[in-house]
Amino acid sequence: MGTRGFSRWVLAIPMALLAVATLYPLLFTLNVSQKTRREYILDRFGLTDTFGVSNFVDAWNTSGLGTYALNSVIVTTGSVILLLLFGSMAGFAFSQLHFHGSKAAFLLILGALLVPFQVVMVPFFRVLGQIGLLDTHAGLILAYTAQFLPFTVFLMTSYYSRIPGEIIGAGRVDGASTFGIYLRLMLPLGRPALLSVGILNALFCWNDVLISLLTMQSADHRTLMVGVTALRGQYSDNIPLFASGVVMAALPVLVVYLFFQKQITDGVTAGSTKG
Amino acid sequence: MTDVNAARLGTRTDAGDPGVGRGPRRVPAAATSAPAPPTGPRAVGSRRRPRWTEQRVAPYLLVLPAILIVVLLRIVPLVMGANYSFTGDGDANGVWVGLDNYRTLYHDEVFQIAIKNVGLLLLALPVAVAIPGLLATFLFLKVPGYRFYRSVYFFPVVLSPVIIGAIFNVVLSFGGPANQLLARLGLEPRDWLGNSSYAMFTVIGVHIWATFGMALVIFMAGFATVDQSLLDAARSDGANLWQTVWHVIIPELSQTIQFVFVTTMIGMLTGMFGLLYIMTGGGPGGATYLPELYIWIQQGQMNRPALASAASMVLFVLMLVVGFAQLRLLKRATKET
Repeated sequence: MGTRGFSRWVLAIPMALLAVATLYPLLFTLNVSQKTRREYILDRFGLTDTFGVSNFVDAWNTSGLGTYALNSVIVTTGSVILLLLFGSMAGFAFSQLHFHGSKAAFLLILGALLVPFQVVMVPFFRVLGQIGLLDTHAGLILAYTAQFLPFTVFLMTSYYSRIPGEIIGAGRVDGASTFGIYLRLMLPLGRPALLSVGILNALFCWNDVLISLLTMQSADHRTLMVGVTALRGQYSDNIPLFASGVVMAALPVLVVYLFFQKQITDGVTAGSTKG
Repeated sequence: MTDVNAARLGTRTDAGDPGVGRGPRRVPAAATSAPAPPTGPRAVGSRRRPRWTEQRVAPYLLVLPAILIVVLLRIVPLVMGANYSFTGDGDANGVWVGLDNYRTLYHDEVFQIAIKNVGLLLLALPVAVAIPGLLATFLFLKVPGYRFYRSVYFFPVVLSPVIIGAIFNVVLSFGGPANQLLARLGLEPRDWLGNSSYAMFTVIGVHIWATFGMALVIFMAGFATVDQSLLDAARSDGANLWQTVWHVIIPELSQTIQFVFVTTMIGMLTGMFGLLYIMTGGGPGGATYLPELYIWIQQGQMNRPALASAASMVLFVLMLVVGFAQLRLLKRATKET
């Protein structure tokens, strides 16, 4: 492209300003989380000189963050396992196997992408209550699986459709059953897509607030993100502790992002271009 | 991401044929001469059946969990919800009331604001698409440090709207950094989330701040598919940067641009609950309601599930409008190939 040298550096200025605008609120919050309440009232902006984990420890001990985090880990793990299992099974069948009604079934699942949780919230709540899964981890896992399965099936189907059919043919000649091919060929071959989709789904489940707010009603069943909304009322007069809770809740996501940025961006762009 | 947020990242479909039915030819079954046995799940695992029965039944068993979940937890509730929306709340629970709930919605000032705010989202849409489009162009031109910028811009996308909202509660507080910046510029401080005439703009601004990285990486994936020879041709014809963008890049990326429009709109319609919930709760005076918050309040707080169902159906229609735009894209994309 015809832009070199000077003009490239000129473009770098708005980019840098925007990067500051992106990072500043995050760093500001991090800084606030380190202040004492008194420091915060006297000076919100100055760099803290009381660097340490004491606010984190306080926030952790005086809120239910530990319980909330455990709930989040349980439902996220359960949901991701189910999503990857059902998503890869369906993706394999839709992309590599011929069966009657395959196209219609695939369209049905894609169509569910147009039915967001908000639209089915009321009946979903009732049904969950009727089958006794309201306010249980299993109920929330089921809700997340239903929410993110269409997206997962879609990505696994598009990934598996790039695997040459000869591989399955060879497996058949060796006498493998369809389920044997799924277990011994498709799961290992699908590892990059499973990693990418798994991380994305983990983030979706971890970050959700609406579904969790609706299904987990008792305080000790709250997930971490609902817990963060509760912190706001609890620490309304102690913003540094509130900020500490927020930072701790965001920390696992930051770690995942630092390690898996490529998988995450690959996953979200997988549907956007042809081929 | 999303709850998208969750839904923020989770509501996307492809603009291409994902390759259904492009699989391998099935290896001709050895036992084709045998009379067709009755099919069905019963046949699985029965040792007397010929091998190819497993091959015939297995695909159905593989898709069964996904189909069951989608039908029982999405399609059936959708039908149930449509049905609820024509029944009453409270004493009239389960009683057919025709279009009463829709009439109530029509006259409800808060719902009117929610719909008006959807209009604001539509107005904000071009901005929410143009900013990342411009940035992706800069990054495509390999501005120094572009890898770093991409990582920074995308990071808020993976944060929960709740975390974003909590951060901005502090940032936008009365003595917070946003007002300090205004003071530096010699402007009056603002009550960003407490003034009903612009609180919704504040929330939309925060949503765009949090999600533009998403559109950015989609644009960048699109740029990667731009035909390099066209760019070379433009350069040898002496085209400057803006001519190249206008005559080469935008036409080449038309499909990606439309895709970004659709996903950004879906993100705005279904991915802002967390922000609204923690930042404004719909206030001040109902000024920051969106349909999704209205549904939640009516169901969770006001105990009016039937009215909430009617609002759900309105949201569903909005989703369908966006979805049909998407379907048109899908069709055009398959024609092009």
